[in-house]
Amino acid sequence: MNQVEKSTKTARGTVTCDNSTMHLLKANDFVAAAIRKKAAAENFLLLNITSSAGSGKTTLLQETARRLGDKINMKILVGDLETERDADRLRSVGADALQIVTGGICHLEAQMVWQAMEGLNLEGLDLLIVENVGNLVCPASFDLGEDYRVTLIATTEGDDKPKKYPRMFLTSELLLVSKVDLIDYLPFSIDAVVADARDINPNIGVIEISSIKDIGIDEWCNWLLDRVAEKKAAKKEAATG
Amino acid sequence: MHEISLVRSVFNTLEAEFTKEELQNLHAIDLKIGLLSNVEPALMQNAFEAVTSAEEKFQKVKLNINLIPIEIYCQTCDKHTIVENYKFACGTCGQPNNNVVKGTELLIHQVHFDN
Ligand SMILES: Nc1nc2c(ncn2[C@@H]2O[C@H](COP(=O)(O)OP(=O)(O)OP(=O)(O)O)[C@@H](O)[C@H]2O)c(=O)[nH]1
Ligand SMILES: [Mg+2]
Ligand SMILES: [Zn+2]
Repeated sequence: MNQVEKSTKTARGTVTCDNSTMHLLKANDFVAAAIRKKAAAENFLLLNITSSAGSGKTTLLQETARRLGDKINMKILVGDLETERDADRLRSVGADALQIVTGGICHLEAQMVWQAMEGLNLEGLDLLIVENVGNLVCPASFDLGEDYRVTLIATTEGDDKPKKYPRMFLTSELLLVSKVDLIDYLPFSIDAVVADARDINPNIGVIEISSIKDIGIDEWCNWLLDRVAEKKAAKKEAATG
Repeated sequence: MHEISLVRSVFNTLEAEFTKEELQNLHAIDLKIGLLSNVEPALMQNAFEAVTSAEEKFQKVKLNINLIPIEIYCQTCDKHTIVENYKFACGTCGQPNNNVVKGTELLIHQVHFDN
């Protein structure tokens, strides 16, 4: 259907809609595409980090900023329902972080990220990380224009998360099993989580981490640096033809 | 839940497509919702009722939801498989496969007018 002129179809009887224009997330996907274009032009990597509430996203990003802060130019956007708390925590370790308060909305939408990006200096940026609102349902449906989606599951959660929230695992490139320092005390099977996640997405990468006991953090940081380097190399190649 | 914003999105889409007068005659909206879309039909119906009564529009309109199962396509076998229990593997060769061809839909499929 045509967006500019109304009623290119007669509003009579039953009207069958064209799938590409009547998609309910069309507005979001349109802005996500604009973000992707901007990230390509400015040549930075964009990550969307998701998990249930409290799986350890902010703690991991604090640790990440500590280690990579003087190696690359990184910034963080952090979504939260009501507070500035996470951005304060990130700034306390020297990270360049900006809060997106969603005002009760349980996920970030591309439009919110786009607006927040307007308040950032993107020049020379290597990596922009978006910490999504803690929730595995709604954020799964909203593309933010990211290069990679990274999802955390903590050992303190049920190990049935992948089967309960398949969409998120289908659309993530990397699974971080977090808080593995607690594994001995909990009825959580890393093998079961990884097997279930790979039933849904055979290609999903897995890193086991503990942000407080320094397990897997080097591997995670190296994964990040490799992805940043890859993106820069792809751009260079395109430029030299 | 994002059902409320999806209902608003349905209304915005229709209002962009049809005139106010035309929408007076609207009596049903058929949505296609894939099992992977993370939309709960009951919550969608509730959200629809909440928004129609709060905004006093589309109040006589019925919302129909068609659920679409998850379907993958295996290129090796040239076969489609309906995914059950979130086991993403080809039903013919058994190879893991997440080449989803159906099940992520979140669409207005048809709208029905009175005249
Ligand atoms: N034992 C242990 N606790 C951790 C680890 N990482 C984070 N935590 C704790 O888990 C709690 C939640 O951590 P956050 O980093 O705030 O989690 P989050 O995912 O950002 O939470 P939301 O933004 O509210 O969704 C805090 O009390 C952290 O101290 C870890 O590796 N091991
Ligand atoms: Mg947080
Ligand atoms: Zn096959």
